[in-house]
Amino acid sequence: MNINFSGVTKIFDPDIVALSNVSFNIEQGEFVYIIGQTGSGKSTLLRLITRELLPTSGVAAVGGFDLRRMRKSDVPYYRRDVGLVAQDFKLIPSLTVYENIAFVMEAMSVPKKIVAERAHDVINQVGLWRRKNMKPSQLSGGEQQRVAIARALANSPSLFIADEPTGNLDFHTAAEVMKILFAINASGVTVVMSTHNQAIVNSSRQRVIELESGRLIRDEKGGTY
Amino acid sequence: MTALKYILRDTWRLIVNHWVLGLLTLITAGVMLWILGITTLFSLNLEHLLSRLESELAVQAYLHKDSTLDIEEIAQRIQDLEYVYSIKIYSPSDSLAKLQEKMGSQSRALDILGDNPIPYNFEIHVRRAEDIDPLVDSLKAMPEVEDVVYAGMVVKRISALSRISSRVAVIMFVLAVIITALVVYNTIHISLYSRREEIAIMYLVGATRAYIATPFVLEGTLLALIGAIIAAGGIVGAYFPGMDMIQANMPLLKSSLLTDKAIIWRFCGLLAGFGATLGWVCSYLVVSRFINSITRPE
Repeated sequence: MNINFSGVTKIFDPDIVALSNVSFNIEQGEFVYIIGQTGSGKSTLLRLITRELLPTSGVAAVGGFDLRRMRKSDVPYYRRDVGLVAQDFKLIPSLTVYENIAFVMEAMSVPKKIVAERAHDVINQVGLWRRKNMKPSQLSGGEQQRVAIARALANSPSLFIADEPTGNLDFHTAAEVMKILFAINASGVTVVMSTHNQAIVNSSRQRVIELESGRLIRDEKGGTY
Repeated sequence: MTALKYILRDTWRLIVNHWVLGLLTLITAGVMLWILGITTLFSLNLEHLLSRLESELAVQAYLHKDSTLDIEEIAQRIQDLEYVYSIKIYSPSDSLAKLQEKMGSQSRALDILGDNPIPYNFEIHVRRAEDIDPLVDSLKAMPEVEDVVYAGMVVKRISALSRISSRVAVIMFVLAVIITALVVYNTIHISLYSRREEIAIMYLVGATRAYIATPFVLEGTLLALIGAIIAAGGIVGAYFPGMDMIQANMPLLKSSLLTDKAIIWRFCGLLAGFGATLGWVCSYLVVSRFINSITRPE
């Protein structure tokens, strides 16, 4: 799924400019890091892609669809094709690991048997099968992040959005999470990830988009932090 | 079918997770709907009783003694008046016989009168007590009518009682509906509020608004329905023994009360349907508002 931002500006009340005239194009299957200091507009950019926010001006299009013109009733169907991993995991605390992952498929009315098979696959993929009956509060930060990744993978998305997925993790766990993300990208899924982690960006040499005070100041293929 | 299974499971989870709140809603809805049902039945009985009394109210219109006009024609003109339900013609001899029958052994006193002094007269019935006054005015305006006799004070009291009972029933109905609606609304709102983060996450990962909302709407509908069924059970349990007691102590009212079991069961069915509808409407309103506010993009 490709992403096209053309002159996108986002202003929050009262007159806080989060993004200013940002333009870029991300092709299907790319791995892109969004970097920049805190408050530079990284999360705003990702939330525009997931349509949690709408641009004040400009065009934000994903898969050829202008997100501002998307009908409210189409949003859930769009989001099923976008895997989302957030820094704070966004897991449902009352549900177990298995239920958190099964839920996104149940919302699509997938039959129970297929839900079970697919959940088994993605939980295995992130190495958490033994933890499947635990609640998020019983897991470490790294494990919770892996559950969030498994959930994002459950619907086989074409686009994977990760908002600082290694932000709360130690070096070793962060490396494990990155390994999973690269594997997802290797299967042809577009991955857009915001991060502060210089070591990760510098070691993998992927495309880097850098923001500063809401402006795009660098867009470099094979870039560093 | 698969989605329905998931939705029913989530509804059950909601009820179990908030069982104290649910129980409170159920009890409140049950009590309020019971009050609503009993008040309505009381009012229906009163209306039934009053309509029987009203149907027995009669206005007696007496013609001039020497009236030579066609009695049938006058009767037809009276029948055509707006408030008349039925009319019966009494000839002087019929009236005398009726009076003699009423007086029984004292009827011999009428012999002193010599000639029958009673003129042709009409016994006129109305549908409602409040129709009596305008009818009397219309009758008095007819030149052939010499006198009009009716139970004025009784008519006014019945009319007033009927108005008061209707108003009390309406007030009770509105109060019970408002209180039940508020309780269901608040329960579902608390249920939604305690799960606001989950709802936002659900929407973010691709659940439709209908999939998120339906368990909450079902929870509200189910609680109100169960409350209404409990209320209906309470009504049946209290109404029939109450009616038996009234009939035993006041035999005069026997034929004026609603004691047909089929009617009361039908009424209870309506109450259950009303409770469920009220629960559905309240839950739907609060869920739509809440989900709209939580899923609207900035």
